Amino acid sequence: MLKIILPTMMLMPLTWASKPNMIWINTTAYSLLISLISLTYLNQLSDNSQNFSMLFFTDSLSAPLLALTTWLLPLTLMASQFHLSKETLTRKKLYITMLILLQLFLIMTFSAMELILFYILFEATLMPTLVIITRWGNQTERLNAGLYFLFYTLVGSLPLLIALLHTQNNLGSLNFLMMQYWTQPLPNSWSSAFLWLACMMAFMVKMPLYGLHLWLPKAHVEAPIAGSMVLAAVLLKLGGYGMMRITTLLGPLTSSMAYPFMMLSLWGMIMTSSICLRQTDLKSLIAYSSVSHMALVIVAVLIQTPWSYMGATALMIAHGLTSSMLFCLANSNYERIHSRTMILARGLQTLLPLMAAWWLLASLTNLALPPTINLIGELFVVVATFSWSNTTIALTGTNIIITALYSLYMLITTQRGKYTDHVKSIKPSFTRENALMALHLLPLLLLSLNPKMILGPIY
Amino acid sequence: MKPPILIIVTSTIVLGTMIVLFSSHWLMIWIGFEMNMLAIIPILMKKFNPRAMEASTKYFLTQATASMLLMLGIIINLLYSGHWTISMIPNPVASTVITIALAMKLGLSPFHFWVPEVTQGVSLSSGMILLTWQKIAPLSVLYQISPSINPNLLVTMAATSVLVGGWGGLNQTQLRKILAYSSIAHMGWMAAIMVYNPTLMILNLAIYIMMTLGTFMLFMYNLSTTTLSLSHTWNKSPLIASLILALMLSLGGLPPLSGFIPKWMIIQELTKNDMIVMPTFMAITALLNLYFYMRLMYATALTMFPSANNMKMKWQFESTKKMILLPPLIVASTMLLPLTPMLSIMD
Repeated sequence: MLKIILPTMMLMPLTWASKPNMIWINTTAYSLLISLISLTYLNQLSDNSQNFSMLFFTDSLSAPLLALTTWLLPLTLMASQFHLSKETLTRKKLYITMLILLQLFLIMTFSAMELILFYILFEATLMPTLVIITRWGNQTERLNAGLYFLFYTLVGSLPLLIALLHTQNNLGSLNFLMMQYWTQPLPNSWSSAFLWLACMMAFMVKMPLYGLHLWLPKAHVEAPIAGSMVLAAVLLKLGGYGMMRITTLLGPLTSSMAYPFMMLSLWGMIMTSSICLRQTDLKSLIAYSSVSHMALVIVAVLIQTPWSYMGATALMIAHGLTSSMLFCLANSNYERIHSRTMILARGLQTLLPLMAAWWLLASLTNLALPPTINLIGELFVVVATFSWSNTTIALTGTNIIITALYSLYMLITTQRGKYTDHVKSIKPSFTRENALMALHLLPLLLLSLNPKMILGPIY
Repeated sequence: MKPPILIIVTSTIVLGTMIVLFSSHWLMIWIGFEMNMLAIIPILMKKFNPRAMEASTKYFLTQATASMLLMLGIIINLLYSGHWTISMIPNPVASTVITIALAMKLGLSPFHFWVPEVTQGVSLSSGMILLTWQKIAPLSVLYQISPSINPNLLVTMAATSVLVGGWGGLNQTQLRKILAYSSIAHMGWMAAIMVYNPTLMILNLAIYIMMTLGTFMLFMYNLSTTTLSLSHTWNKSPLIASLILALMLSLGGLPPLSGFIPKWMIIQELTKNDMIVMPTFMAITALLNLYFYMRLMYATALTMFPSANNMKMKWQFESTKKMILLPPLIVASTMLLPLTPMLSIMD
């Protein structure tokens, strides 16, 4: 694991020591090389883990997430080049350093072997994200967004710290290798219920669960493009990954404690999807669609069946790439017209046809078109939920329909129809933007050919 | 202040604390506290204005009362145990009186009312000495008598201190008052763990002193005492703005900075002793602290407040402030977390 961590750490001196015209080239190139190293971890036996040391390991759940994280850094760097071009050199280097620091913490989080180390790095990811959102966001609401983001996550995760330390005192160690053998079933009492709540609420807030999702539209909308990409693609998956890891400790209690959260997620899916139909702000639409997809992941992790875990893992990877791509597309609009309102830039298919192709493919993957991995994820989760309780098919089916509705609404509003007169003078698509979209889409399409590497440890 | 006088006064302050730390006779400890208190009054009055006089008078009155209470506790202990040696205090009355006296010296709630007002009335450097050096002596005495302190009293004081420190600082814009309320809250964390593991109290004190020294020195660099003047830092010296960001995050106790170490270790000790509600309550209340540190961070480093262009003139001149050991302090206040396994040497 040091072969990824040390190069990522060294990207920071690389940024500060590069010549001014080489900073973007150097960092993007070397971070792409680092992502190639992480791809070697995808070659795993499905139910065994590759342990590098007492601190770091990868198994078939964390390896795809690790690959996603490292793949995303060059993409975020490419996406940020335009809006940082007017800043001074030191500020550009600071921004890149924040992104690299965030990447470093994320890599260590996904490969942490001990739960306290996982917790520390989970919290550590908050700091660079906060700086990116509040320092480089564009509107005054970014301050409020940073506050909501930080405090929602912290209020959820401080009880998690206490629950983890309490569990460490009971079990002796929180190392994943030893936890497999030493976990005891939780007794059916009030204190176990509180322990369950303390462990899960941090990840529920991070996912986010429907009632606790207020920070997400604010943070996603106010963040600059790199912040939105990293937030949507990776930071939400931290919640799902953490939930999957910690439910091993929480014994048979999950099947009874999960009901309120299942209800909130199932209802919240439909609510947030419906709100997407009435959004005028493009980034806000994508943010609410993230909440809706993640609610499916919450449902999948809570019912704890083999199919649902496979679906949850596949959905996390698929949603990461799709959501990040949609934010990049929204940003390419924002850079041209400096507004996030959808209807201000209509009929873009006439003006930017290649970008319209990327919009089409992104919307199609967002609505889970076969044979993409989005479909595999959603389908597995819907089928597993149906077997858990037959009536949920009404809710999940409605959600699939509404997802299709708003994805097509977004596509048709921005791409089709007559263009507005004031967008005739926008700049044509840069090669950088096309490369960005292609690099997002290629993994999605290639994974459709061989999805078994993202199906997680149960496959 | 003329240098010879400053030397005499400063050495008396240091000598007073040293006498408290090194003595085993209760009377010598009391003498050390008195020397410390009398010698710090000229330091508090460095600027001769009515506000400083008021602050020094308040400080003197509270500390003298605390010293007298301490003497009362010592005499009661002498009455029941027959000796002057500092050790466990079997008699509960004496133990309670001594604990309350030391809590008044420290500024633990409900005896915290003097801390914001005294800190606000004095200059930044005097406030720095007040909030860091002055905590060492009372905490060392508490460390030595910790087996016999009434746990209920201490936990109550800790819980109320963390609450007061969090809530009191919310409405402040003056930096010295903010740091005073931060000191009250940190003293609360230290008091909470004193009963179970006094070594962690010393660890918390050490890290708190490093962070507070660094913070005060960064404020002294800009000569800023209000949030508004701090918000001009980005124009005068952007490096200081980023350092204030790092230090505020560390004071708030966010991982992966050093400020998280004491909180983590204290919560671990408390959960080992089957206290679950107390650390949860303290941890959530520490978020109130984090809120006003975040407000400072927002004003300083994350937004660019409007400021006049003549601030840029300051780039021409080097700073004349004495920033003693500032770079190592900042490194120690932010990057010590990977060294936490070294704490196992204390077992």
